[in-house]
Amino acid sequence: MLPKFDYFAPESLKETFSLLDTYGKDARPLAGGTDLLVSLRGGQEPAKYLIDIKKVKELQNLSFNDKSGLTVGAGVTLNRLIRHDAVSKNYPILREAASTIGDFQVRNRATLVGNICNASPAADTAPALLVLNATVNISTQDGTKKVPIHQFFTGVKKNILAGNELVTSIDLPIPPEKSISAYMKARRTMGEDLAVVGVGGLGAPTGGSGKEIRLAYASVAPTPVRAFEAEKIFRKDRPVDELVGEAIPVVMKAVSPITDVRAGKEYRVNLVKVLTRRLVKQLWEAS
Amino acid sequence: MNGKRHTIETDANKTLLWILRHKLGLTGAKPACERGDCGLCTILLDDEPVKSCLVLAVEANAHKITTIEGITKEGALSTLQTKFIEHGALQCGFCTPAAVLVATALLKRNPSPTREQVVESVEGILCRCTGYRQIIDAILDASKINPH
Repeated sequence: MLPKFDYFAPESLKETFSLLDTYGKDARPLAGGTDLLVSLRGGQEPAKYLIDIKKVKELQNLSFNDKSGLTVGAGVTLNRLIRHDAVSKNYPILREAASTIGDFQVRNRATLVGNICNASPAADTAPALLVLNATVNISTQDGTKKVPIHQFFTGVKKNILAGNELVTSIDLPIPPEKSISAYMKARRTMGEDLAVVGVGGLGAPTGGSGKEIRLAYASVAPTPVRAFEAEKIFRKDRPVDELVGEAIPVVMKAVSPITDVRAGKEYRVNLVKVLTRRLVKQLWEAS
Repeated sequence: MNGKRHTIETDANKTLLWILRHKLGLTGAKPACERGDCGLCTILLDDEPVKSCLVLAVEANAHKITTIEGITKEGALSTLQTKFIEHGALQCGFCTPAAVLVATALLKRNPSPTREQVVESVEGILCRCTGYRQIIDAILDASKINPH
């Protein structure tokens, strides 16, 4: 049984902001509802007002241009994102990560913005957005501020948003030239499952020493994390096996896996090491 | 709703699944997990498979809804439904409405799917009886016949 709430379906951004200003902390934006309705039913979500954003035209935009990159509006579903040519061509890791979420029916409703706002440590799109250096556009009546994705998550299912703030879109810059990216998701079943460990990576030639390697992780810390310190190690002209060996202890400092219903801590620790090695070598060889 | 317009009064906190079953008497969509895991509540919203336990009735306002009851035209089984029977793709039948609907949607958007694509389309349906092979075979078989 869902608890009682009031439902609004505004048709403009102005109306949406006004509703959020009025109801603030007691309100939740509703896009796909694939996390929100589950939380409401489970009693983990105290929202008294649901603000359906699906009729707000400004939030349904999905567009790419080869100067500024990709913009994904708050209402864009994962399947819409996955089907978009520019996403497949320019942001394969994002397509890959989004494709591992839930199942086909869920992806017809769930949104990219919803995935990050829900802020699960296991959010599969997060490692992709982290290595792609995405920017989150957060708006109210008074304007928009841009927050780098690595500052967006603040704790388990906690994000940086204040009560009346709305994520209106996510921007992704054009990735480095000749870059390769991929997402590895360890899971218990090939069907629907949360990540036991998720690793996203991007590799690009530098024209200088070593390579540019970016690494981000899901399900191994209170939030999705980017391994900035470990990444620096790869800008050296040494064999990749050596660099990976040096980087892994540094990666382990950025993560803090736990034991939960899906896996034990020791298994997760091992997976981080194995998948990092596998992914870096794949990116190194291909970029 | 399956080609006919209905006007229904409902509370905001009623799901599409609930009004299908309780206000429209369409019991093909099943309440099982009611948390979006099992997929047995799947219906087509604007021709796309969605889990009706995760859709509020009010969200479905002014949209096109297709349930399993809308697949059988005047009592005649669709090609897919016939193939499901031929291949033994149903035993208890509990997941069958959802499976037929996702398959119908799949073949509409992709008339010649690969086996992999068929598998992906049924990943969101939990079948405890068949082991899926018969379901996948039935869908592939139906895809070889056009129209469905």
